[in-house]
Amino acid sequence: MDLSRRRFLEAAVLTAATAGLTAACGGGSGSGSKDSKNLKFWYWAGGLSDKVVADAKKHFSDATLKTSVIGGDFKTKLLTGLKSAASAPDITGLKGEDIASFLPNANRFIDLNTLGADKLAPDYLSWKLKQATSQDGKLIGFPIDIGPCAMFYREDLFEKAGLPTDPAKVSAQLSTWDDYFDAGVELHKALRKTFLINNIGSVFSMMIGQGTKRFIDEDNKFIGDQDHIRTAWTTAVKPYTLKIDAKINDNTWNAAIGNGTLGTEIGAAWHALDISNAAPGTKGKWRVASLPGGPSNLGGSFLALPATCANPELAFKVITWILSPENQARGFTDAALFPTAPAAYKLPALTGGDAFFGGQKTIEIFGPAAEKIPAAYEAPADAAVSAAYFNQLTAIEAKGKDPDDAWKDAVSQGKQIAQRQGVK
Amino acid sequence: MNSQNRKRLRGLSVHAVLMICVVISVFPFYWIVVMATNTSQDIYSYPPKLWFGGNLLTNIQHLFDKMDFFGSLLNTVTVAVCTTLLVLFFDSLAAFAFAKYEFPGKKFLFGLLLAMYILPTQLAIIPQYEIMVQLGWLGTLKALIVPAAANAFGIFWMRQYTSTGVPDELLDAARIEGAGFFRQYWHVVLPCVRPALAFLGIYTFIAAWNDYVLPLVMLVDPSRLTLQVALAQLYAGHSTDYSMVMAGVLLAVIPLVLVFTFFARGFIADATKGALR
Amino acid sequence: MSSSPVAGPAPTGPSSGPATGPTGQPSPGHRRGPGRPGRRVRPVSAVARRGPRRGIARYWPQYLAVSPYYLLFSVFMLFPMLYTVYLAFQKWDGIGDMQFVGFQQFRFLWDDPIFWMSLRNTLVIWVLSTVPMLFMALLLAVLVNSTKRFTGFYRVALFIPSITSLVAIAIFFGAVFSNNFGLINAILKGLHLSAVPWMSNEWTIKLVIAALMTWQWTGYNAIIYLAGLQAIPSELYEAARMDGAGPARILFSITIPLLRPIILFTVVISTVTGLQSFTEPQVLFGSDASTNPNSGGPGQAGLTTLLYFYHQAFDNNDFGYAAAIVWAFFLLILLIVVINWRLVQRKERRP
Repeated sequence: MDLSRRRFLEAAVLTAATAGLTAACGGGSGSGSKDSKNLKFWYWAGGLSDKVVADAKKHFSDATLKTSVIGGDFKTKLLTGLKSAASAPDITGLKGEDIASFLPNANRFIDLNTLGADKLAPDYLSWKLKQATSQDGKLIGFPIDIGPCAMFYREDLFEKAGLPTDPAKVSAQLSTWDDYFDAGVELHKALRKTFLINNIGSVFSMMIGQGTKRFIDEDNKFIGDQDHIRTAWTTAVKPYTLKIDAKINDNTWNAAIGNGTLGTEIGAAWHALDISNAAPGTKGKWRVASLPGGPSNLGGSFLALPATCANPELAFKVITWILSPENQARGFTDAALFPTAPAAYKLPALTGGDAFFGGQKTIEIFGPAAEKIPAAYEAPADAAVSAAYFNQLTAIEAKGKDPDDAWKDAVSQGKQIAQRQGVK
Repeated sequence: MNSQNRKRLRGLSVHAVLMICVVISVFPFYWIVVMATNTSQDIYSYPPKLWFGGNLLTNIQHLFDKMDFFGSLLNTVTVAVCTTLLVLFFDSLAAFAFAKYEFPGKKFLFGLLLAMYILPTQLAIIPQYEIMVQLGWLGTLKALIVPAAANAFGIFWMRQYTSTGVPDELLDAARIEGAGFFRQYWHVVLPCVRPALAFLGIYTFIAAWNDYVLPLVMLVDPSRLTLQVALAQLYAGHSTDYSMVMAGVLLAVIPLVLVFTFFARGFIADATKGALR
Repeated sequence: MSSSPVAGPAPTGPSSGPATGPTGQPSPGHRRGPGRPGRRVRPVSAVARRGPRRGIARYWPQYLAVSPYYLLFSVFMLFPMLYTVYLAFQKWDGIGDMQFVGFQQFRFLWDDPIFWMSLRNTLVIWVLSTVPMLFMALLLAVLVNSTKRFTGFYRVALFIPSITSLVAIAIFFGAVFSNNFGLINAILKGLHLSAVPWMSNEWTIKLVIAALMTWQWTGYNAIIYLAGLQAIPSELYEAARMDGAGPARILFSITIPLLRPIILFTVVISTVTGLQSFTEPQVLFGSDASTNPNSGGPGQAGLTTLLYFYHQAFDNNDFGYAAAIVWAFFLLILLIVVINWRLVQRKERRP
């Protein structure tokens, strides 16, 4: 009797321990609850204005917005999240460079037109909405920002090098890529430790954005070997041959931007936040001028509702509130997110001066650039294909690889990636 | 006399060489502390600061602003503790069966364990990820704990110890009293194999604590990350504030190293004893 | 993917050593096949024999006891591995439908210069780390073995790197070897030498990764060798010394031959773990760069095969292609291990 009782006791303890462990380890394995007032909201650091998000939480007091700032590679994480309803967010950011690759799986998202986005569409930039529209007309993302590009430059360094310092003059004098590189040579001659650009990949991506064609055309054909890409490539390599390329392809960029290694940066409006975060000490020394060679767009993101969204109506209200012209204007001052609603361009937040840029009214540069952005078709495999070109550009910088060999390799590799991704 | 001196000199030079190696071995820990206690500007400056600074608390403050340190710590501890307890239980139980019993298919099953050593785990990682999706475990700590809840190494190790460290006489005595398999395990085997469990426990705990690949693939939500993934994310990208990141490294790594040095002698002896058996 | 603990010890954890350690590493001269475990005759469970149940059923406690591992193994290892084979014949973006494509992925693989480059990178990094690592480990072991004082201290100090988090070490190396602001370049500057762009040159990138692996595993291997050295009877050494053999001769004609089984073990383990380097380049060349995540750094010099696998699967969402990569890579590892084995064994036969 005694024996069997003890035996029973042991078995019970063991089972309980195992069960308890497994349960404890599970540790709240996911909400599961379909309480539609709870919305999981994912974005990345700098993807939205944190202040606007905080206000959204207050504004929608009847709902609980559980925001997560996702680190690491956002697209990978989002794909992982989308795979199961338990882990999927109810509202998510979607990066501009990633959205094309999600379009073939548009059914994983709610068509925002069914929630009334079509009525709001006239207030937003149509080419940006088109980026988020699948071939059968579903709108999977609502635009947060666009990335009109400009040239950021250090006024103090330009002055030391005897270059023009006034944004209008800089824009006028450095209007083509060759003018820009010439200025870079002068800059580097005057200040030996200052370079014009951080790497040649940045020039390449700007130039791709200046064109109306990318690596794959609408007929799903690989066009990465054609003249428009070749021209961009040849131009991008110039600063390398002129030795005005800092060849920075790692996180030392962070320090380089602050210590005068980089005299200019070319990038989208949102890049201003990267600069001010990395080098708060250079406040007031930077200015913005037009991008050499004409307007370009880089990135610019969206908010999307995964198909598993717990409360589409409410979620849609949240995103349209966050992305209203007024709040977009706040996003611009707060996180350098350039609005997608033209109504915002007239608001004081945009027309005012930016202290980081010495009080310059940056809208004078970004506004006209935004209006003239050339719209290009971006295929789902575009980002993957372009990686081959960027890799080869870094190979030139890292190994001193011959630019012509690198070009040939980039084209053949780009073609292969396209092929693997189902491009003709 | 001369040979005496030469001998001493040789002894000294041996120690000198070894000391250099020891310095190289532990230098990173010293340097991590130096970086974590200075400002990023100090690290970037030339000549660099070589001694501890007074900026540790500020750096930790920044760290806490940038990441949910205690959340990640809790996740890491949860994974490491759960994995360790499960491994200890399952492995020692299986080891007992392998060490002291004969049953049909035993050789085959044991041989299968061996095959595990050649199979690289990444062969399985994509489907594993899919399985976690199907189970609804993706993004949860379960996705890390359950697959690691038993392992081949632990069964080997425990079997080795059980077959020599648990006297057959004790088991026979227990059987005569009518004790079945699980009672023998509980009353006879477990008390006998405690030293081997200690080694396996420390080993499993460290491996789980340091694991990076599986958490990288399986976890998404920042509130669910383990320390290793959170640290790597902190380091990634442009806005790298070295002194802040190093404060994180310091907090995440140094405790484990200190705890280890405490147990080190026995652990190292066990780790190498096996290699000679 | 070097540190996934699934169904087996993390190859880069402190694991590797003990991993194969207790699996019956032979004492010098006599290799006991670990596949033949039951040498000693075991008393079959008296209870079980007496029991009324017949056949396999009466062994239920044993089967129950060993079942958790095999259950987990089947679900999380065996099935996934086979499924990976299946995936290698599909085109699949991870969330859409799969499409059977036959051997196409393998054809792509054969033609993909980046795959071959990643193999080259992996092999170069492996050679750059393993050769100095094992050589220095042996020397260190001999040195520690030659002295009697502080050996406990040396062992702990040398062992510590192997239990330290790889992520932390990678961050540390990234900071120290940083092009413009790292300690190493600061020292070079102090010595009036020109700075080396460690993190952006094809060879130095590999060197940094190899240095990282060497730092982490040299002490560990030294400890393993040390254990082997201590098992060599000291009379052997005395006899050799009586015969007038110098230290070098003793090393090559006594120490190394007697250590051969252990050397074989460390070579195999270093091969399997060294070829699986992933975390090092993944952390060093962070993945935030959205245009080009996980590309392995400038010039893709740090792109190891497993990083390329990860990139194809989780950045490009080309899961079928990734499956083909990882299977091809596995077969390669197998080949190299067999070659290693053969080489070391042949040496053994040569007296």
